[in-house]
This record gives sequence, C-alpha cells and structure tokens, in this order.
Amino acid sequence: MVDFSGFELPIWYKGIVPECKAVRNSVGIFDVSHMGRNLISGKDAAPFLDYVTTNDVSVLEVGRGHYSVMCNEKGGIVDDIIICRLTEKQYLMVFNAGNREKDLAWLNAKAERFRVEIQHVSDAVSMFAVQGPNAEKILQEMCDEDLSQISRFGGKYVRVDGNKGAVTRTGYTGEDGFEVFTWDAPIEQPAKAVAVWNAILDHGKAYDIQACGLGARDVLRLEAGMCLYGNDIDESTTPLQARVSFVVKLTKQDFIGRDVLAKEKAEGAKRVRVGLKVLEAGIPRAGCDILKESQVVGRVTSGTFSPTINQGIAVGYVPKEYAKTGESLAIRVRNKDLRATVAGFPFYDSSKYGWQRTKA
Amino acid sequence: MQVGDYEVIEGLYYTKEHEWIKLEGDRCRIGVTDYAQKSLHEIVFVDLPESGGTVAKSQSMGSVESVKAVEDVFAPISGEIVEVNTKLADSPELVNQQPYGNGWIAVVKPSNIDADLKGLLDAKGYAGFLKTQIK
Repeated sequence: MVDFSGFELPIWYKGIVPECKAVRNSVGIFDVSHMGRNLISGKDAAPFLDYVTTNDVSVLEVGRGHYSVMCNEKGGIVDDIIICRLTEKQYLMVFNAGNREKDLAWLNAKAERFRVEIQHVSDAVSMFAVQGPNAEKILQEMCDEDLSQISRFGGKYVRVDGNKGAVTRTGYTGEDGFEVFTWDAPIEQPAKAVAVWNAILDHGKAYDIQACGLGARDVLRLEAGMCLYGNDIDESTTPLQARVSFVVKLTKQDFIGRDVLAKEKAEGAKRVRVGLKVLEAGIPRAGCDILKESQVVGRVTSGTFSPTINQGIAVGYVPKEYAKTGESLAIRVRNKDLRATVAGFPFYDSSKYGWQRTKA
Repeated sequence: MQVGDYEVIEGLYYTKEHEWIKLEGDRCRIGVTDYAQKSLHEIVFVDLPESGGTVAKSQSMGSVESVKAVEDVFAPISGEIVEVNTKLADSPELVNQQPYGNGWIAVVKPSNIDADLKGLLDAKGYAGFLKTQIK
C-alpha cells in the first residue's frame, strides 16, 4: 500500500503486468474513490462551468460529457477534469484527488457572480472504474438502463446492483469502460461500496475480471497518452503545450485564461508534450533528460515499461521543432543515451487495443 | 534458511542493499536476494554492467527494474567484471524465478577481497537484518 494524496492504495493486486493485460484484453476494476467529485447545479451551472473550464459546456446535452481543463488567468492548468451532464440542471465534475482542496477553493472563489451550487460529494459517493472491452457486458447485467446508449464521456443515473448510482462512459486507460458511482456510500461506512465492488467482481468472474492497483492505472493511462496532473501537466503548462488543445474552445466568449490561450494558439506553443518510444532496451523514468544530438532539449515527465507494446515509453516536453512524429531523439537513462523516436498517442496500435479498436 | 517469506542461503555474503555474493575460487558471483526480487515483483529489465569494466565497492553497477520501480545493484566488492549474465537481457524474469541461481547478475574478479568482505554480512547477519526490515 502507498499513500496517494492521503489515501492508502495498493500498487498492485496480482501484478502490474497481468493487471494491464486484463484491462487491454478483457476487463479490470479499480477503486478510484480517492478522486474528487462535485455535483454542480443551479440556474447558472452551465455558464459557470463555461467560465471556469476551457471546453464548451453549453453544447452538452443531458447524458453527454467531455474531458476538459480549468485554467488560471495565465492559461496554466489548475486541474484536468471530466464533466458530465447527468440531468437538465446538474453536472458531475470529476477531478484529481491531489487537487481536491485547491479546486474547491478555486471553484468557490469563481462562483460568486453565478447562481450555482457546488456540492462536494467525494466522501459520500464511492467510485469504481470498470475498464476493458468486456466492461459493458458485466455492468449491463447489474444496471437497469441500456448502457449501450451511453456515448463516450456520457453518463446517466442508473441503479447499480439495486443501489442508487450513476455511470459514465469514462476512464483512464484508453479502453472502453465505465466509472461507477454509488450514492450514499460514505467513505467512513464502506459496507455499501464494498458490496458493489464485490458484486462487480462476481459478475466479472466469467470474464476473468482483475482488480487493478495504482501501478496498472499509471501504466495504462501512459500507454493511452493521457496526462497525469502533477507530472505531465500543472499550473506552469497550458493545454496547448500539453497537446490537449481539443479541449480549448476559443469560440466561447469568455473563460478564465482565454486571452493567454488565444495568443498562444495564434503564435503556436513553443514547447509541447510528446510521446517517445525507446528503440533499445531500457526504461525511461520521470526526470530523465531528452536529447537531440547530445544536447539536452527537454525532460521526461512520465516514463514506464509498456507491457502492451513491450518497450519503454515516455512522455515529456520538447521544443516544437523536435515534436514531429518520427523525430529521432534520445533519452538519458542512468548515464546511457537510449535512442527514441517521437510517437503519436496512443502508444499502442489503436486497431487492436483501446476503445476505438476495430478488431475483436 | 527462511525469514518470513524470504529465502536466505547459507554460505553467501550479503549487503544491506540486498545483494549477495558467492565466493568461487578467485572470483565472486553477484546477484540480488530473494527479498530484493520479491520487493520489486515482476522484473522486466536488468541494466547489466559491461564485461571488462571495473566496479568500486558500493557504487552502482547496474539496475534491476520492474514496471514502476528501479533498484540499483550496488557492487558489494571492488574489482573487474569478468562475466555478466546476458540471459537476463531476454529473460529478466530469471531474477524473480531463481534469484540465487540462474538470475545471477555478474561475476567479478575482486581487487581487495579481504578488506571488502569485512564490510559484508554472513547469512545469519543478513537474516537478522532482514527481520528488522520486515518486522
């Protein structure tokens, strides 16, 4: 068990490698109750969210959701989040565990001129991620709504194994899957949450469901090219530098950070986040230097061995001139310069793995 | 002998960084202990030293790595590396399977063996140290 933002979480149950393989090939379950969860409602819920986040909330129909970021006035990322419109007037916001207090203070400070209620439910609602190509089949057996109607990032209130809850078609693995929220499941009285967890494991037996720890969670998100707040993004990086520019909707009139982001978009980000595949034996780690012809040009912000593609992979920031897919760079790992090539996201073949896979 | 879940082999010398060395005539075989491999769990990469190079006691001579963790292999003794276990390049899991056998890391021809051995633990000493680590 390790301490993660004040929560004790296992690094692995069976092992990082078999847990990653279970998620890519069938299904895995993660306890992600440490994540932050807000319910945001009120007459101005949508305009408020449009002001504090960069993606366009006004276009979200009931049951739809998206990935987004909150920026500060300088365009730096306060947090990366998921927003899902559960009902006409209520939005679920999922944010990072380590940013719980910072985000709540930020949201409350920015909410003054809006008619909006921010209900922090992180410790009242449990949250499990069920991820992998067989996730829907398992959860469908336990839910009273047709899950196939939920689009990527969408979600709705459903009963899960008889309990009041909600599901969203989201995750942090690159695979199809859901995040399962159980209402009235307080962290200090875990019986109901444990019952839901065990019920999912029971239904998943036929698919060899695997309980997964933080280790697999980090590897899977990195293979998918997803950012880890505090490593790959923080208040010193903008969403354009982090190459999640699809969440920045400059068509919106006004949102925090808009001026800086509009200027950066016009000029082009000078340093950007890239994926790197290591072409020889060795595993890059956060903090390793990235080199171009023996000159240090950047730094790795996340690195791991990828069990899916069986090689070392990394994410880091480099000047934009070195960011093209196929660019030859090197990563200095334990005093050795390992050849690496700039790769697109996800790192794996998306026809074989991930939610967009075409091969069964 | 067994300490908790961990095997400690009689007749080897050990470090508090969980390396073992085995005296083989004028050479020493080096590896990592059962505790080291179990702590790392699934080993996916071993950064081997170069054969022919020299190592100084307590300096890093390579690493043993799992998906998420890296542990240095510190040289328990000074000397010249005369052989490395190249099988680990393709089968790093040998360190998990046989930490005291086919999962060995390197063979060193020691340059100052008598002095270096004084700083090492015998099996009994290492077992006692392990107990304090695992409680």
